Amino acid sequence: MHYPWWHVPHLTAPMLIAAISVVHVLVSHYAVGGGLFLVVEAGYAYRRQNRPYLDYLKRHARFFVLLTVVFGAVTGVGIWWTIGLASPLATQVLIRTFVFGWAIEWVFFIVEITAAFIFYYYWGRLSEKTHLKIGWIYALSAWISLVLITGITAFMLNPGGWREGDGFWAAFFNPQFIPQTISRTGGALLLSSLYVYLHASLTIRDSAMRDLIARRSARPALLGAIMVTVGGIAWYTFLPELAQAVLVRAAALNVLMGLIFALTVAVFVLLYLGPYRNPGWLSPGFALTLFLFGLAAFSAGEFVREAVRKPYIIYGLVLGNQVLKDEVYGTEDAPGLRQTGYLEGGIWTKKFVEEHYPDAVTDGQIDEKRLLQLPPRDRIALGEVLFQYHCNNCHAIRQGYSAVGPLVRGRSPEMIRSVMEHLHEAHFFMPPWAGTPEEAELVTEFLTDIAPPRPAGMFPETALAETN
Amino acid sequence: MDPIDPSTLPALPAPFWFVQFFKVLGFTLHMVPMNLWYAGLVVAMVLHLRGSDQARRFSARLMTQMPVIIALGINFGIVPLLFVQLAYYRAFYPATILMAWPWLAIIGLLIPAYYRVYIYAFALRAEGDRIRPLKRAAGWCAAVCFIAIGFLFANGWSLMGYPEAWKGLWLSHSTGGAARGTALNLADPSLWPRWLLMFGLALTTSAVWLRIDAAWFADKEDSHYKQWAAGSALKLYTLGMIWFAAAGAWYIFGTDLHTTLLEGWLLGLTAVTALAPGLPWLLLWIGRTQESSRTTAALIGLAQSGVLGANAISRQVVQNLNLRGFLDVAAQPVDVQWSPLIAFLALFLVGLGVIGWMIAQVMQSPAIAREESGA
Repeated sequence: MHYPWWHVPHLTAPMLIAAISVVHVLVSHYAVGGGLFLVVEAGYAYRRQNRPYLDYLKRHARFFVLLTVVFGAVTGVGIWWTIGLASPLATQVLIRTFVFGWAIEWVFFIVEITAAFIFYYYWGRLSEKTHLKIGWIYALSAWISLVLITGITAFMLNPGGWREGDGFWAAFFNPQFIPQTISRTGGALLLSSLYVYLHASLTIRDSAMRDLIARRSARPALLGAIMVTVGGIAWYTFLPELAQAVLVRAAALNVLMGLIFALTVAVFVLLYLGPYRNPGWLSPGFALTLFLFGLAAFSAGEFVREAVRKPYIIYGLVLGNQVLKDEVYGTEDAPGLRQTGYLEGGIWTKKFVEEHYPDAVTDGQIDEKRLLQLPPRDRIALGEVLFQYHCNNCHAIRQGYSAVGPLVRGRSPEMIRSVMEHLHEAHFFMPPWAGTPEEAELVTEFLTDIAPPRPAGMFPETALAETN
Repeated sequence: MDPIDPSTLPALPAPFWFVQFFKVLGFTLHMVPMNLWYAGLVVAMVLHLRGSDQARRFSARLMTQMPVIIALGINFGIVPLLFVQLAYYRAFYPATILMAWPWLAIIGLLIPAYYRVYIYAFALRAEGDRIRPLKRAAGWCAAVCFIAIGFLFANGWSLMGYPEAWKGLWLSHSTGGAARGTALNLADPSLWPRWLLMFGLALTTSAVWLRIDAAWFADKEDSHYKQWAAGSALKLYTLGMIWFAAAGAWYIFGTDLHTTLLEGWLLGLTAVTALAPGLPWLLLWIGRTQESSRTTAALIGLAQSGVLGANAISRQVVQNLNLRGFLDVAAQPVDVQWSPLIAFLALFLVGLGVIGWMIAQVMQSPAIAREESGA
């Protein structure tokens, strides 16, 4: 509304954020836990002068740098790219609130990268003590980066009682901060062990060395699994009531939560029975299974974390359709979009009307009554504009992610109109309708136009059935 | 297009001058490594193909260093990206959304380009100068990708400063009033010279790096190499400077920028920006026949930092000028977040100290390690 909406066919633009974010966190958590693994294990190997283990750790450090510094760092930038494109209003509100959080994170990021390169490239060229110090600088910087980003993303889910003017720290130390920091730290420990197992099982022939790695990385992995569980329970406890209701209500999220629970238990049991009790089990197949289970649980967890925010992007502040919450109903000083109209309130939607239907604009204002007098094709076209800016954030059109065509299939125009005008009452996880009744009529005509015909075998419409 | 009402948004958390300062500083820092991958990669590939022994040696050195250079460049790029979104969001978001797919393609090009640089760098270590054709091709692909990325960035930044074009691009690249994200700012007369201007500047930075690397990091190289480096840096800088001058003249006189940039105090800034490359060139010319000392090389590097800094300031001024008819970026309400700001500045200094300490440890390590790491 404030910005041009980016239409991504079938997928919807915000799903690009989800796709890149999920891929990124799978690497960024390894960037945190893997750094800890490398420095702790290098210290252990130095103390015991275990040269073969040091050789392996150096090889692992190369893999680590290639994955985290290239793919991890660039996908992190990729998240910046996509949130700006798909959620510009939410991004600017976050940046205005947390710019110094991100700036501080940047400082730690550059320390992190410098330390990572020196730790790897100068392996064997620095004194053991200095090498380990640099490893610890990396590990600490990476963890602090995690904490800083967690404070910001946790704010999106539950800002608590924060209101504009409460400042940075009140926003940062929100109710979700500690739960998510615990679970993400645990996730970093757990995931890094799974990466290590996979890498070691594929690259090490010496079974004694594999056993050593399996045994030594099992405890941090089990600790990580416990932290993920504890953090997850706290995460649920400190969810806003609406988010808890969304989690219970959405069937897909129910399935994903069940999947996360089952996979976490499976990973825990496999870790305990395998690397912890029977290190010799660490074959490539076993490690790959653990790795895939871990990845699946993590990805599902990230998806659920994003999904429960509905209908908000930033809880209580920015709605999914790029509108500030206060803009919908207005304030004492300014009328809301429900009074002025969604088309009138948006820069780009208004420009669309001015450009294509100048007769519907009187004294610089859109005359909504005139819109309803336009020919049917034009009303449908305007309905599509409203759909794009109000609904395409979560719904594809005819086919794709939560496509609206199949959703309204078989519904009469009256039913669609009624749902449109009472969106958040019909479905509590939907944003409120942010337009006028005339605009709801335009969207209804568009949805009716794109809805597939009633499928054979479906009960006929009530009115039709009663006349027969 | 009308800007959105700023009263609905939180106030700027820092004074506007602070935002601009870090935006310009961050961009200047970003330009140093970015210039090396933008033009330096192509130079390295050409020198490997057609250069003398010393030229091929420099090519190998630069490509071995390139993974670290790219990492630093990406990292430094975060600062201007953060601050541009903080203060210039009303122009930045519409422009990038209109060209969303090409803009997103930057990430899609960057990841494989970066890995290709690694493939080339590892091949250099494993196979020496006789890299296999497929791995050489990886280097060329990376060079092309980075030039394409530069073109896409030039599109994004020029479109951001060209709001007059938004409506037309939006209407011709939209579905149901929503942007398809397929537009490019090709009709903007400033696009091509802007893109080429940066390439010229990048050639000069690459030339300066050739000199700095020879003086500071090439302990294993003989005096022939260092003398070649001194002479070649001057030649490369001269080429870059001519390119920069030609593209700069096109940029100013081929657009309506000359009406503002050549008047009043802006004339002084424009003159400094245009003439600044003369100082590093002069220093390179003076030392063209001798192995440069570390001090001379550092002075040349400092002078080139000034060239980049002047360029960054001029770009900022032009951006503000382009936008002034549409929004007054300096007129935003400000409510300074003092404690986070102080925490940032304090940690910034601590971070610099920690990095300084780590680099000091590296400099005390045996020279062979520094050579192999590319530092």
